[in-house]
Parts: sequence; structure tokens; C-alpha cells
Amino acid sequence: MAENIEDRLTEFSAALSQRVAAARPLVAAIRMRGHSLRSGTLWRKDVVVASEQTLPRGEEAEVALAAGGTFTARLAGRDPGTNIAILRLDNSPQPVWSGAAAPQPGALALAFAADGLGGAAVRLGAVHSVGPAWHSRAGGRIDQRIVLDLRLGRGEEGGPVVDAAGKLLGISTLGPRRRVLAIPTATVERVLEPLLTKGRVARGWLGAAVQPVLVPEALRDEAGQAQGLMVLGVTRDGPAAQAGVLMGDILVALDGAAVAGASQLAGLLGPEAVGKPVELRLIRAGAVQSLTATVGERPSR
Amino acid sequence: MSAVAAAALSLRLRLRVAVTAGDPATARRLAHLVAQSGHQPVDPTEPADAILTDSTDGAAAAASGLPIVALGAGEGDFAGLLPDDAGPAQLDAALRAVAAGLTVRPPSPPQPGFAPLPEEPSPALTPREIEVLTALADGLGNKAVARRLGISPHTVKFHIESLFRKLGAGCRAEAVAKGLRHQIVEF
Repeated sequence: MAENIEDRLTEFSAALSQRVAAARPLVAAIRMRGHSLRSGTLWRKDVVVASEQTLPRGEEAEVALAAGGTFTARLAGRDPGTNIAILRLDNSPQPVWSGAAAPQPGALALAFAADGLGGAAVRLGAVHSVGPAWHSRAGGRIDQRIVLDLRLGRGEEGGPVVDAAGKLLGISTLGPRRRVLAIPTATVERVLEPLLTKGRVARGWLGAAVQPVLVPEALRDEAGQAQGLMVLGVTRDGPAAQAGVLMGDILVALDGAAVAGASQLAGLLGPEAVGKPVELRLIRAGAVQSLTATVGERPSR
Repeated sequence: MSAVAAAALSLRLRLRVAVTAGDPATARRLAHLVAQSGHQPVDPTEPADAILTDSTDGAAAAASGLPIVALGAGEGDFAGLLPDDAGPAQLDAALRAVAAGLTVRPPSPPQPGFAPLPEEPSPALTPREIEVLTALADGLGNKAVARRLGISPHTVKFHIESLFRKLGAGCRAEAVAKGLRHQIVEF
């Protein structure tokens, strides 16, 4: 009996090592002048994906692949909204990965990072929870909320995360209070093209700082909702300012769609909204009124 | 530096500090800074208690095994990291600390991590409560809040009590932190 269990443990361990060996060639070590090592994922031939928030400013980097070879890399684009940065390499090998994983809570997860010795370090944990699409504070839409139950060092963000079958869950990212998230494979795929061709991902922008607020009771029927977004700041010459939005206005709808919270507004200000006129329904001085604004493009930091 | 301060420094232990830098001009600047901080700059070839280097010459200094203070290096495996514009008092403190086997780091900017948009707040606040909260965040007292909003101090107090109750806050700072700081989003 005891022997039997030991066999299974050994088998389990050997299977894990096999998965690690298979995914290892995806790991990239990113060195930028004057900074410590960062991790990345060889996403396709000549393209390395990294964690935007941890990647230093700069145009050039040296990338060493765990698959072998050191490359001069150029920063092709960064998107704070989805925490994705892209580096362009010359003549890298073609990575092999067996498709996107469907994350399941409790399933094993292997998070890879550059080990600083030309190879890959690995963290073993589990998928902590899986949720629907969400919006980051920087305005990006993340296709799925994947929280991982494992620890991650600062320089380890941006490495690949794979499931037990070796399929790609996404790239690792540190969230608030050092909680570890995976930016899903689908999200990386979605922003890859705009980042490669334009260097950024355009997002709608009004130039207003807002906070959720209760709509005064007397106006709830007319506004059609109990909650709105109160304007606490207006960027000078921004789209909201040009439309005549004032501090203290309560925004209740955009183009007829109710905005009772920040994520509803974020959903309406995607890349497709840029440059379009929108109707802002808002409450000012005890009355509901409408203004027309032209959605701008969110400035880069 | 005042004569009194210099005298106070000289009463304490003077460290021998080897100075290395990428170019001679920087080396002279660093040596001058060491002297200003009340310690003795020495040549890298001489015995020393600690090393002061600029960020370009860190690798060479690391071989000595002595504690190193690096000026202007954002990060790195040094006992001491100081900003490029560190003054004599900061350098003195850093040199003494690393010579005593401690680690010196400048305060790093907070790293909030990649965060989601705030969840919808429950309980939501009224427009008036947000105006009061914004005024509190600006550091105003009750009377000043009343003046700004054109309401009576009594009404301000009423709104603040309501805010404390809704947010579960025990003081103004806590109310601001819970009610405002994380809820404001720029679009």
C-alpha cells in the first residue's frame, strides 16, 4: 500500500516536471539597461509579451530565451489598460504551445519566470477563482477574471501560466495586495495586433473624473435609475469640458445606455467609441438634460 | 554646513570611504560629498570601511566585499541605494548604516498592482455627501465646509455623521479613504 502511494506521488511529480519541460521554451528573460531582470513570454515567432506595469521605460532590451539564444529586442508597444507590453525580436524560434486553457477553479497552475541563469523558474499553485470579464482602472477590458493561488516575485510577472495539460492560461500579473492574476490568452491575442502595428490600444476618453452616487429621489423616475456617476473633475479642453460638462453634474446615461457604475461607463468607451459623438444624459441643478460630446482618445500616461 | 554641525560630526567615528566612479569628474564630486558628510574619502586601492560609487561603476566595486553605497542606481544588489541628489546628511547616515551591516533604501513609490475598477459601492452616497467628503479630503473643517457648500455647520455635521455610518468610518481620514480615494475613476 505504502509503496503504491509513493509510486503515484513519484508519477505525479514526474508528470509535473514533464509539463514544466514542455512549457519552459516559452520563458523569456528581459534585461533593460540599469534595471533588474524581468520575465516575459515568447508568444509567437519574434514576439515576446511582458507585464506592462513592471517593464521599465525604454526602447531597447536584451532578451534571452529559455529555448536558447539571446536577442536584441525593441519595444513595439505597451497597453496599461490590459497590462500588456510587446517586444519585437529578430529571428527568434517559433514557440510551441498547445492552445488556450479553459480555467477551472481548483485546477493546477504552473507560473513560469526567468530565473536569471538563462533558464526558467516555476511556481506551482492552483486556480483560485474564475470570474467574468472585467475592466481595469486603466480602462482595459480583460476577458476573464483568473485569480491564481500562488506567490510571485516582482520580476516574475509576465511569464507564462499553464494548466496541468500544458495549455496556456495567460501571462502572470500582480494585482492589488500582491494577489496573482493571469491576463487571459484571449486578451493578449486581442491587443497583440494593435500593439504591433500602432504601438498602443486606443480607448475612449471623456476627460472627467467620476464617482458613483445616488440620484436624488425626486429625479429617479425621470432619470430612470437610482444611481449615476457624479463628475468630480473635468480635464481642461477635454471632450467633457468641450461638451459643457461641469463639476457636480450627475451622468446617468450615455447614448441611451444607463451608467450607474464605473464598469458600465468603461464598457461604453472601448476602442470603437473613439471619435464618435455621444449623447450624455445628466442631472444638473435638479433637472435632467442632454449634452453632446465627441469621445476622445485616452492619453497615454 | 555650519561649524557646529561639522564639529558634531567630527566627534563621531570617521569612516574611510573608497570612491569609485565611471569618470574622474564624478569621482571628484563623490569624494567632495564624502568629505562634506564628515568622512574621509580614500583611493580605491587603499583600505576602507565602505565604498561609494555611482551607478555606472557598481560591478567593479562589488568585487571588494566591502559594503557599498550606490548613488543614483534605481536598483541593484548594493547595501545602500541613494538618489542622485542625496545630500551630506543622507550620505553620512547611509555610510554609517551600511558599515554597521544594515541595508539602506530610499522610500519606493507605492506599487498598487494591476487593479480592477472599483466595485459598485454599497451603500452609495448622495451628491451632498460626496461634496462634503470632497471638502473633507481637502482638509477643511466643519465651518469651512459649510461656507464652501453654502449650508449650515449643523447640516454639515449631519452629513458627516451619515457618512461615518454608511462607510463604517471612525474618523474623517478613514471616511475619505473609504468613501473617495478608491472610488474616483477618470474616464
